[in-house]
Amino acid sequence: MSQLREPAFDRVVALVLRLGAFGCFFIMLAGLLLGLFVHSHIPAEIERAGVLLILATPVVRVLVAGILFLREKDWKYGAISFGVLAILLLGAVFGIGEH
Amino acid sequence: MLSALLVLLGFFAGLLGAMTGIGGGVLLSPILALHFGIPIRQAIGTSLIAVITTSAASSSVHLQRHTTDIRLGMTLELATALGAAVTAYLVGYFNRNVLEGLFAGFLLYSSVIILVRGGKVRNEEVREVSGDGETVIPPYEPQHYPLGLGASLFAGGLSGLLGIGGGPIKVPVMYIFMNVPLMVATATSNFMVGVTAAASAIVYYRRGDILVELAAPLAVGVFLGSLLGARLAPRIHTKYVVYLLVAIMLYLAGHLFVHLLTGGAA
Repeated sequence: MSQLREPAFDRVVALVLRLGAFGCFFIMLAGLLLGLFVHSHIPAEIERAGVLLILATPVVRVLVAGILFLREKDWKYGAISFGVLAILLLGAVFGIGEH
Repeated sequence: MLSALLVLLGFFAGLLGAMTGIGGGVLLSPILALHFGIPIRQAIGTSLIAVITTSAASSSVHLQRHTTDIRLGMTLELATALGAAVTAYLVGYFNRNVLEGLFAGFLLYSSVIILVRGGKVRNEEVREVSGDGETVIPPYEPQHYPLGLGASLFAGGLSGLLGIGGGPIKVPVMYIFMNVPLMVATATSNFMVGVTAAASAIVYYRRGDILVELAAPLAVGVFLGSLLGARLAPRIHTKYVVYLLVAIMLYLAGHLFVHLLTGGAA
């Protein structure tokens, strides 16, 4: 069950990751450069958007892979993907911290 | 000024990480804690952002070479994400000394793994390239899933505690015990790092342990560094880069131990 040769599947997942990484890079860079000239909370808010984008990237990657598995009627790996997604989302919902 | 320094730090960590195949994240949290005076928990949370960025950038390259086993990765992610989320919650109950001690131990362990592995990836890569330049991977069947899942749970747990990717644990387990070719094990581990780090980073973020103004310059630097590193890796002699990385890791391990023994005075 070493299903390595699935070019289309790999390409879609790679695209999600690349969009997230490049998007995060450009947003962070914009925040940093703006911070050199503007002294307000705006650069920090832009950087926060970059942090949120990179946090969301793996979540979207798992969601997209899960949908691709379901479309292939690969129920087992579809279920596994949504299990991983559930763990990630639990962290977002119960993000309460002690001290 | 601080931002420029952090961009440089991220660049350097990303460069070394991409050239050696070990995510540079393992360098970031100890350097942030020891040299920038960031409390260890915030140092860990902040370095997780750089870890996710590197993983996303580099595993998109691996995916395009079709060396990532997405099914195996997704399965093991059940365990790494669970371990990482749980320890991210529990990290508040570990005192600083335990975290620093664990980190120093992990740096020592990783140094040994890197030195033992040495040029192996390279040799196998050469063997697996066929006449037309396409990478050919012999058929394999992952084995011993319970063992792999157990090790992944442990690797994920450490990732959530220390803000690292955990490759030095996952790669040998997949390669030695699960019968996965080294190249696939490396690519798949890299692929898993993003989700593992995100599972704990989300918890750190909600708790306010990710310092956005430090994460931004680090992410920018690490992104540029890993892009350049991935391009340079095939062209230069990585043996010396590996020694440099190990030297820095040993220095950081030693510094952490001294820091522990002197109660934070060093």
